[in-house]
Amino acid sequence: MSDLVLELRPPESQHYPSWRERLDTVARYSQPDEIHALCEKAYALGARVILTVFDDTIREALVAFQRWRDVQVWAVVPNMFAFIRDLTDLGLVGAARARFMRLTPPAMVRTGLRTMSALGGIRRRDLAVGTMLVCEMELAALRGLRVTRLFLHPQVTEIALAAGAPAVFMALAAASERLGIDPGLMTHNPLRAAAVLGPELRRFAPIIAPCNSKGYKMFPNREECERLFRSDPARFIAAEVTAGGTLAPEAALAHTRALGLSGAVLDFRMVDTTFHGGITRPAEAGNLDGGVV
Amino acid sequence: MTDTRPLRAAVVGAGRMGMILGHLLSVYPGTEVVGFVDRDTGLRDHLASQGLSAPLYPNVEALFAAATPEAVFICTPTHTHLTVVRECLGRRVHLFIEKPLATTLTDAEAILHLATEARVVHAAGYVYAHLPIVQAAHDLLARGVLGETLHFSAHAYVSEVFGPKRGWFFQRELSGGGVVANMASHLLFILGWFFGPIRRVVATTRSLGTAMDDSAQALLTFSSGVTGLLDTSWSMPGAQMLDYGLTIRGRRGTLVLGRDRILLHLLAPADGHDAGWSEIHASDLPADTAFDVSPHIGGEAFYRQLDSFVQACQSGTLPFCSLVQACNTQRMIDAIYASATSGAPVEVS
Repeated sequence: MSDLVLELRPPESQHYPSWRERLDTVARYSQPDEIHALCEKAYALGARVILTVFDDTIREALVAFQRWRDVQVWAVVPNMFAFIRDLTDLGLVGAARARFMRLTPPAMVRTGLRTMSALGGIRRRDLAVGTMLVCEMELAALRGLRVTRLFLHPQVTEIALAAGAPAVFMALAAASERLGIDPGLMTHNPLRAAAVLGPELRRFAPIIAPCNSKGYKMFPNREECERLFRSDPARFIAAEVTAGGTLAPEAALAHTRALGLSGAVLDFRMVDTTFHGGITRPAEAGNLDGGVV
Repeated sequence: MTDTRPLRAAVVGAGRMGMILGHLLSVYPGTEVVGFVDRDTGLRDHLASQGLSAPLYPNVEALFAAATPEAVFICTPTHTHLTVVRECLGRRVHLFIEKPLATTLTDAEAILHLATEARVVHAAGYVYAHLPIVQAAHDLLARGVLGETLHFSAHAYVSEVFGPKRGWFFQRELSGGGVVANMASHLLFILGWFFGPIRRVVATTRSLGTAMDDSAQALLTFSSGVTGLLDTSWSMPGAQMLDYGLTIRGRRGTLVLGRDRILLHLLAPADGHDAGWSEIHASDLPADTAFDVSPHIGGEAFYRQLDSFVQACQSGTLPFCSLVQACNTQRMIDAIYASATSGAPVEVS
């Protein structure tokens, strides 16, 4: 397994076993230093990639972390929960304006030009055009960060997959190409993605999808998902590996490794558990492939 | 005999929920979308850009003039539900209505009456009740694992209102109320499903950022004798999505229902469960969902909700989430507001 990926999301947008744990975690990770410390623990475990939905705290922490460590940042855009909240409060124009106003003057000019060239799509309220404009504004606001891969937020991805609408994904691929970075795909429905995108699926690597020995969050079922994974294991990275925290990290990672997947996503709980629980460090194991856990 | 042809469905209201349902109906193997209805016909290109290619009609009349849906999914603002139901039930179509059912109990009961008279299948969109873990909790109670159910405590919090808000959702006459009607109603529905008809309510509400209820505390007594406290707020920091929890105490044990798990404590073994603490996690439950349309909000519950309704339409039987249960929820909403206004307990007949 070559990639261990730390997944970050604004802590308010995650689920917790209890209200108390929610408040503790949200308060803790509202501090950039705590996120930085989490990244450091994940780095010690072998993670060299951070997959993240951004808010200001995460951006600040990662800017500092990338100065210190050589890690890739994979961006998940747009931050749909923040965008939906802004849509409710400000309307579509207001939500777009709020993002525009966060840009530097050069980025404003670039975005303005892009907007002019996309006026037809904006007037039609075209999903692909609108989504990519918001995505590009969010990316442009990530000043000082080196982003190497681009993913659509799962709320957009699953909707587009349900509709069988490849246009959004093609727009993501085109935007990534313009920016000189690679497009990826993060989904709970990898079989549907394969059906909707067909041969174009090859343009998206890696594909991050749930993979665990309990079949948790593997839609439509574990067997069909694993058949897809086995067809090209190097293309896939496993998410939800501990099945909601019910599998031990070591066994969870061993399962994905046995399938030959190219990596696994760690969340903050898994990082804490393994860091304090004595996971075998890659340096001690000699190499990353098979050495982690 | 069960009918297995795809169910011809139309979606009335092409806002956020209408589009999610439209996408689900597209991906679900047992349905076919024959039309959308929205006053804003400028949405046509927007829908098409999402792969929603069914025709868009400006009103229900135009829909029925051009198509023959067997079921209608009503996702318009709450204050329009009764009118849309009246328009739809000029034909015999099954009804799925997004929550809450109506802005008043009177309207909700009128909707139920119309649907019952029309002898159609009906359901309400309280999606969280379709989460496998919630259904597992219901099954444990129904099998009597806790013995006689005594009381509960529940919370429903979300970070939504920290100042003035705009839009129909934040106008009482259009949405039916604040956090109680629009967020806590998910939990009220589950409580009604678990414990039966509501009998008595004592409640207070507070306004913080809107002119409606931004928080509420309610002491609920059900006809079954179960009593409990609900605390709800949409002005709680730290929760971009609805965070709910429910602790139920019975004579033989305690059940704690969270988002993804049940913690069970039993005083003695019951129904295959050991005495003491045990955990049932969502990942331990059978997987029966083909598509996850919204991984972070609702998850597979949306698919299961649709599946439940389609199966009910095909078999001609009412699902557990019928408008009868939704009316029970509306009675709770109505009684909470009445008690908060009067400052006195409200008996529900």
